[in-house]
Amino acid sequence: MGMLDLVQNETIKILRRRRFLVILLILAILIPIFTYAQYRSVLTAQEQMGTSDWRALLQQKIVDTQNRLASSRLPEEWREFLKITVQQQQYYLDHDINPMAPGAPTFARGFMDQAISLFLPMIIVVLAVDLVSAEFSEGTIKLLLTRPVRRWKVLTSKYVTLLLFTSLTVLMTLILAALISGVVFGYAGWDMPVLTGFEIAGGELETAGVFALPQWKYLLMQYGLGWFVSVVVGTITFMVSVLVRSAAAGMGIMMAALISGAILTQMASSWESAKYLFVVNLQLTDYLAGTLPPIKGMSLPFSLTVLTVWGAASLVVAYAVFIKRDVTS
Amino acid sequence: MTETVLSIKGLRKQMGGKPIIKDISFDVYAGEVFGFLGPNGAGKTTTIRMLVGLASADAGEIHIGGISLHKHFPQAIAQVGCIVENPELYKFMTGRENLEHFARMSGGISRERIEEIVRFVDLQRAIDDKVKTYSLGMRQRLGIAQALLHNPKLLILDEPTNGLDPAGIRELRQFIRRLAEEEGLAVFISSHLLSEIEMMCDRVAIIGKGKVISVGLVKDLMEQFGDQVEWSVSPETTEAASRILRALPFVEEAVASKEGRIMCKMDTERIAEANRTLVLQGIAVLGIAAKTVTLEDLFLALTTEEGGAEHGHAGPGAK
Repeated sequence: MGMLDLVQNETIKILRRRRFLVILLILAILIPIFTYAQYRSVLTAQEQMGTSDWRALLQQKIVDTQNRLASSRLPEEWREFLKITVQQQQYYLDHDINPMAPGAPTFARGFMDQAISLFLPMIIVVLAVDLVSAEFSEGTIKLLLTRPVRRWKVLTSKYVTLLLFTSLTVLMTLILAALISGVVFGYAGWDMPVLTGFEIAGGELETAGVFALPQWKYLLMQYGLGWFVSVVVGTITFMVSVLVRSAAAGMGIMMAALISGAILTQMASSWESAKYLFVVNLQLTDYLAGTLPPIKGMSLPFSLTVLTVWGAASLVVAYAVFIKRDVTS
Repeated sequence: MTETVLSIKGLRKQMGGKPIIKDISFDVYAGEVFGFLGPNGAGKTTTIRMLVGLASADAGEIHIGGISLHKHFPQAIAQVGCIVENPELYKFMTGRENLEHFARMSGGISRERIEEIVRFVDLQRAIDDKVKTYSLGMRQRLGIAQALLHNPKLLILDEPTNGLDPAGIRELRQFIRRLAEEEGLAVFISSHLLSEIEMMCDRVAIIGKGKVISVGLVKDLMEQFGDQVEWSVSPETTEAASRILRALPFVEEAVASKEGRIMCKMDTERIAEANRTLVLQGIAVLGIAAKTVTLEDLFLALTTEEGGAEHGHAGPGAK
């Protein structure tokens, strides 16, 4: 009757439903594809420049960007973003650090940068979307709730199990990204210094607080932020799973939210209150890398707060509804 | 002194602003099979959902083994085993995994107890197969196994014979009688199929439109109505024959239903006596049929009185 027994039950059900297996398969199929794409782009860049020297490549990139900046038709926000990118690249060049040094850890870092706002949340949605609703749609809720266990305990056991598998998913993403890409790029580069601590003040990149971190530490911070995003998205999906009985509908709701978030971050810079939506706050790793946030006034503490509030509110709604609701078929 | 296992007092519930359950009260004792009868839509399933804590009641009290379901849910529900509607188990797990799942939720159930219950419902051979490969009958038995796993005092079955073939129904009937008589369980069965309730149950509650219409021993309820005898006589003597029958002291009522047919409410043991009287007075008796009142007739009569035309819904299934 203890919580451990209940969590064991939920774990068995997730495994028997093969949800986690599906996620591992998605990762195992997509990571090699991304690895190959990365490999091609490195090759193409070297061919175009006729050199494999990263300094020359980075210098060329800076020149390219400055040329684009010279064009007068560029929108103002975009111009600021490019300026900051140039400043950052210049900093790497001045300090003799190759930001793109190929290797398993660099790939894993790039992968999380790309995955944190859409790919990883979607995987978590697959995991969480029918955690509660399947019990209703399959009718097993009637057996689950007629046991000597209070409803809040039943829901807690499901949530704890979700946290468990969310953590496992983020961990497996890191392990698989490093393992698979290492086959192509090699496994070196864990100690390579990565710059962080950038601050954006009034559209200028503030490099005063910048410091170099060994890549493995940077990765831990990055995947920690990825974990936090996953937990929040998982919690919101969990609420949807309590509210919506059909897994397809729940999936639709979450997909629509995540994708519109991805679109909004591209174009919402002039709509300032959009920054309170959870979906535009998912790109947490950008704060580490020193990229300009999509909307003015956003910072790492701000995004963390917004996400925490959304997660907490979702939990409250999920518990209130699950405990109160009459089970009808 | 028989123990009251389930006690319901003044249960009420509204859904969508409409009162669905208006006032339901009854007791169920240990060792009896209690039938809960009513046409579809009378509120049977809603009542059962409240009994097992799936739905909340607006007013009224439910005590199981003397413990308030509302105040001490875990302790009260621990004494209940139930199948609400179909036995829906986890199809992607084996029968054994399903039982282990529910055993962990109840606590204190040994591996031996699981083995024992599997033998009891005769599922030894299929217990390690996935439930999705089970036939309906096997699912029904696994459903009963999960309901009995934790040795409940009260077994609640909602429409248990839905979808079972006649052999399955017979098997279930014997099984339920055995549980009540040998194990001393209180078994609470809801149904709209009267014939099966009549064969299985000791007492019944008949509900219509969210109210209890009648509670009592099946035998007593049926005696209230008495037996009926149908007489066939040659058509031209119908009037005379009914006059003679009505004059007999032991005949309560004699109605000429149509040409040559007379329905009598009377003791079937005195048919011969009545027949002799008719024959002596020159009536040609063509046929005599003794009709025992079934619960079905009773049910129709009761729900028609109270519930208007609703009984019509029970018709097709009530064979």
